[in-house]
Amino acid sequence: MRFLLIIAVLWVLGLDFGFADEISFNRDVRPILSDKCFSCHGPDGKHREADLRLDVEKDAKESAIIPGDVELSEVILRIISTDPDSQMPPPDSGKSLTAEQIDLLKNWVREGAPYQAYWAYSKPLPQRIPATQSKWPRDPIDHFVLTAQINHGMEPAKDADPVTLIRRLAFDLTGLPPSQRQVETYVADPTRQTFARLVDEFLDSPAFGERMAIYWLDLVRYADTVGYHGDQDHNISPYRDYVIDCFNRDVPFDEFSRQQLAGDLLAGADDNDLVASGYNRLLQTSHEGGVQPKEYLAMYAADRIRNLSAVWFGATVGCAQCHDHKYDPYTIQDFYSLAAFFADVDEDQHFKVGSNALPTRRPPEIAVLTRWQRERLRTIDQKLSELRSVPAKSENAKPSESTNSKAATIARLEQEQAQLQAAKRTTMITQSTEPREMRVLPRGDWLDESGPIVTPSVPAFLGTLQTGDRRANRLDLANWLVDEQEGVGGLTARVMANRLWFLLFGRGISSSLADFGGQGEPPTHPELLDHLAIQFVQDNWSVKRMMRRLVLTHTYQQSSQASPEMISADPNNLWFARQSRYRLSAEMVRDQALTASGLFIADVGGPSVRPHQPAGYYRHLNFPRRVYSPDRGSGQYRRGVYIHWQRQFLHPMLKAMDAPSREECTAQRPRSNTPLEALVLLNDPSLVDTSIALASRLLKRPAISTPQRLREIFQIVLSRPPDETEMSVLTDFFTKEIEHYRTAPQAATMLLESADDFVDTEMVSPVELASWTGVARLLLNAHETVTRQ
Amino acid sequence: MNNPFTPESSMVQRRTFLKGSGIGLGHLALTKMLANDAAAAGADANASGRSDTPHHLPKAKRVIFLCMAGGPSHLETFDYKPKLAELDGQPMPDSFTQGQPIAQLQGKQLKCQGPLTKFAKYGNSGQLISDFLPFHQKMADQICVVRSLVTEQINHDPAHTFMNTGTAISGRPSMGSWVTYGLGSETENLPGFVVLTSVGGRNPQPIASRQWSAGFLPSRFQGVEFNGSGQPVNYVQPPPGITRKQQRRLIDAVSALNQHQLDKTGDPEIETRLSTYELAYRMQTSVPELADLADEPQHILDMYGAKPGDGTYASNCLLARRLAERGVRFIQLYHRGWDHHGGLVQYMNTCCGLTDRPTWALLTDLQQRGMLEDTLIIWGGEFGRTPMFQGKGGAGRDHHIKGFSMWLAGGGIKPGYSHGGTDELGYHAVDDVVHVRDLHATMLHLLGIDHRRFTVRHQGLDMRLTGVEPSQVVHDILV
Repeated sequence: MRFLLIIAVLWVLGLDFGFADEISFNRDVRPILSDKCFSCHGPDGKHREADLRLDVEKDAKESAIIPGDVELSEVILRIISTDPDSQMPPPDSGKSLTAEQIDLLKNWVREGAPYQAYWAYSKPLPQRIPATQSKWPRDPIDHFVLTAQINHGMEPAKDADPVTLIRRLAFDLTGLPPSQRQVETYVADPTRQTFARLVDEFLDSPAFGERMAIYWLDLVRYADTVGYHGDQDHNISPYRDYVIDCFNRDVPFDEFSRQQLAGDLLAGADDNDLVASGYNRLLQTSHEGGVQPKEYLAMYAADRIRNLSAVWFGATVGCAQCHDHKYDPYTIQDFYSLAAFFADVDEDQHFKVGSNALPTRRPPEIAVLTRWQRERLRTIDQKLSELRSVPAKSENAKPSESTNSKAATIARLEQEQAQLQAAKRTTMITQSTEPREMRVLPRGDWLDESGPIVTPSVPAFLGTLQTGDRRANRLDLANWLVDEQEGVGGLTARVMANRLWFLLFGRGISSSLADFGGQGEPPTHPELLDHLAIQFVQDNWSVKRMMRRLVLTHTYQQSSQASPEMISADPNNLWFARQSRYRLSAEMVRDQALTASGLFIADVGGPSVRPHQPAGYYRHLNFPRRVYSPDRGSGQYRRGVYIHWQRQFLHPMLKAMDAPSREECTAQRPRSNTPLEALVLLNDPSLVDTSIALASRLLKRPAISTPQRLREIFQIVLSRPPDETEMSVLTDFFTKEIEHYRTAPQAATMLLESADDFVDTEMVSPVELASWTGVARLLLNAHETVTRQ
Repeated sequence: MNNPFTPESSMVQRRTFLKGSGIGLGHLALTKMLANDAAAAGADANASGRSDTPHHLPKAKRVIFLCMAGGPSHLETFDYKPKLAELDGQPMPDSFTQGQPIAQLQGKQLKCQGPLTKFAKYGNSGQLISDFLPFHQKMADQICVVRSLVTEQINHDPAHTFMNTGTAISGRPSMGSWVTYGLGSETENLPGFVVLTSVGGRNPQPIASRQWSAGFLPSRFQGVEFNGSGQPVNYVQPPPGITRKQQRRLIDAVSALNQHQLDKTGDPEIETRLSTYELAYRMQTSVPELADLADEPQHILDMYGAKPGDGTYASNCLLARRLAERGVRFIQLYHRGWDHHGGLVQYMNTCCGLTDRPTWALLTDLQQRGMLEDTLIIWGGEFGRTPMFQGKGGAGRDHHIKGFSMWLAGGGIKPGYSHGGTDELGYHAVDDVVHVRDLHATMLHLLGIDHRRFTVRHQGLDMRLTGVEPSQVVHDILV
């Protein structure tokens, strides 16, 4: 523990483990000033004390800081003062500085108090790739990581073993476990070539888009219900399928952004663009009788800005709803000027036509097919017109076989055409109307109409839009967000690159994925983050290429195991000298169990599905009262990404495993480990069903011995053979289970009661099936099974 | 860090998670780290998230929050306004309503509605209580009525969110989560924060699980909802045909595999998992045992008016006592149906008929068991109702946020006392105004927590239940 204390002190001093780093303003000083001083001496002009601001170098050095002179610098004198009247921060603020922080500030002043432009607002700059003699790096990324490790007295962990690595890769890229074939392929030939081939296989799989969509849907707070009050369903599932499709087709992130923020404003906007523009409608709405439209429009505006800024700026602009931001240079004027971009979104129709129907009415909406359905329909239309245009032979001629088969083809195509047309789903879209008047609301009070009227503009400190006399619109905003020359594209790329890194390493390079502001965490590897951001833009904003690049690094392929010394030296894995291990997401836990069971249905897209859920779970919903009808058949076995997302009562399995309600942007789900989660894994009927199905899958194989079967089921679930200890646990457990069911066969029948729908129970002995179901439950509950290692 | 609770694969981080310094690494407080490390030796799934609480000697150990959802009328319960009776049917003076937020009465002509029942003084304290609440009349000397509450949200859903989390923005922790996070639970067999919602009465307002969400606090502090019928807690029942013994064997086998992994990898997260499976197992017994009222004598059932398994407020009050006895920290009951835009007399009779006696029984039962002195009971809705008439099917009242009543009783609260007051028409709270934030500050104070120091770092801010606007402990209502 003392060792840790020393390390921590050194770290705070910027002297990590004896390697003297220079004090960095952004990394070391700014976080202290921000947390302890900026609240009164920062960007918020209204609440600034003593007309002093410390966030701007020029102002700070006018009087408070005398570079090089600790004794004369008022800032230092005040923080070391013991006089309650002059002491800073004031005692009643509840804030104070540690001795280490004071020393650090003194040293910084002594060194001339150098400021740096704030990292997150500076364009990413091309970085020199650190040189190394080591053979370890495989990509420039590894050079950055290795250099930082060496500077902090560390070295890379050993490589992960092939099974761990292929499982990690499969979950990271597809959200599914690897198939037995994929495991065998890699274990038989664990080379870089084979690995790269499997990477491409995973990236090409439609499951990639589904996995990535879950993260994006968390960010943009996608859900199937309105969120407030009656929490009625609304029509939006085509937007979810659009997102999946974009990741699968690798639609460049800049285009993806434009389509969502302003698809309706694009020249020649097609169905795809309109579906994408549903992004602007994802916010929570209320259909309660007696809502004040004005109040709710103000709430909606704020909701949008919170989301827009979290997703694309990596910022908490929502803080400027009532006052200038306390820590970042966003003003209240910026907040409402950003909100003005969305003042044209036709949103208030629901105040007039909204209803307690399911789904409720939230026009404007359109009926659409998915992109692939539309393409298929086009092909059919084309084929049909070709077939029909071939002139029929003379009417008296006997119908030949070929005309018969032609007629059959036409009939078949017509049937498919009709089916497709019937499959249209309704989805909310954005329609631009005459923009509402947007005012600055002093203190965020919607009743106060004294604030100035604002028009759309980007935060002043980040620049201006050049639209001449034309009122700027959402498309201008979207373009500015992804334009690395004239706009803040480089900053946006940095925000996204950090998140893609997070998805593969378990921690962002800056660990605050949605707050790059002064109160967020500065990046541990700022040069690497800039390198990635630039790479992302150069790769034409290709998410797939970035993911591919990252998983092929040596850094990615390290083991996640760490010695106690390593853990105490770097508890938060700041230096990526190992991989991370954490529980799989809710959807992955479900999808893995379904895959193992063989029940899994891999269809992409469609209306949301409703798996089993406890009876009466929606009893608190009203307007209207809700009856939950679980899907029958295939709907039970679709991926988690398709589960009906009820904001107020999220499916309890998803909820127990930390899936967010999607009321607000979630850039990083918590990873809890609770008794409720254990109860789900133990008792959720869906997971019991998958266990029964897995057991029956096992029993269908040719007769083999019990030990062989135990090995096989272990291999199916964990992609590796059990060791001796594990075999003995399994054997012992199975023996007791089968003994139990032999003496109580009626208990087996009870357990298997639900299984008729999906298992041919006639074929197997209930006693055997129930016993193997027990083994399947055991394995699906194992820590290793639900952990990404 | 954005989320200081995300457990990573490291001992210290997990311990930070368990004892939650709530401080980003860049600002790591060393002393706290050390303290955390020592305190987290046993991975207890129900431990507190803090090492620095309580800040002072608590007066109350637990809270029972009786939420009368929908917004009961203060003007027909605790706030008697003879002047309103005088003006009955007259236009509401503009001076009261000009520029004020209004819900369903937007654009309507505003008329005064006199009190729809009689009031009298009760007990030695002489507190004014209406005829709708005969059992509350008996508690006049035990409860402290606050007649000057104000809130900021005028629609049900955001108003509940405001009452529970101190803000209308979704994603913040509810007060029950804050309290359990701050103090942990005193039970090893049950969650620390339990929510019960009753059936019965009129068409209820919906209530969202957001109201008991842990927000950005670790999810083990979220409220666990107990169901009045069916499985008392979701998934607490083993699959059909699985015996207790089998379930035990299964958990033992899971633990054996996990222990083996722990030995091989040293991953401390596995230790936590071993303990959560144990608590899950215990809950499979303790929850059904708790929900089973068979061991309650008939006279107790009669006192509450509870019929086991009926899911009523009466049964939930009895369950609340059982939860309190077992060491649950925060118990929240919702009874819905108080949204009386019309037919107020009829529906007040219904709602009071369902809740008046059980509330008295709960307080009396706790008192006779010596538990009232360290239990804080809070009764009230998310807002009150307008002095103005609304007539959706007979006389009623609209939502009202500028002045309403709640009461508190038990640990540390001055009994038989009335605090604050509204103007002569019951519109604005004018004397000793108590904001929802003040209620939160007072509740935390009684639990030994200084609301100003009770912060958690989230999105770069030191978040508090009481937020950043001024808030204070209402010392006048404390013993």
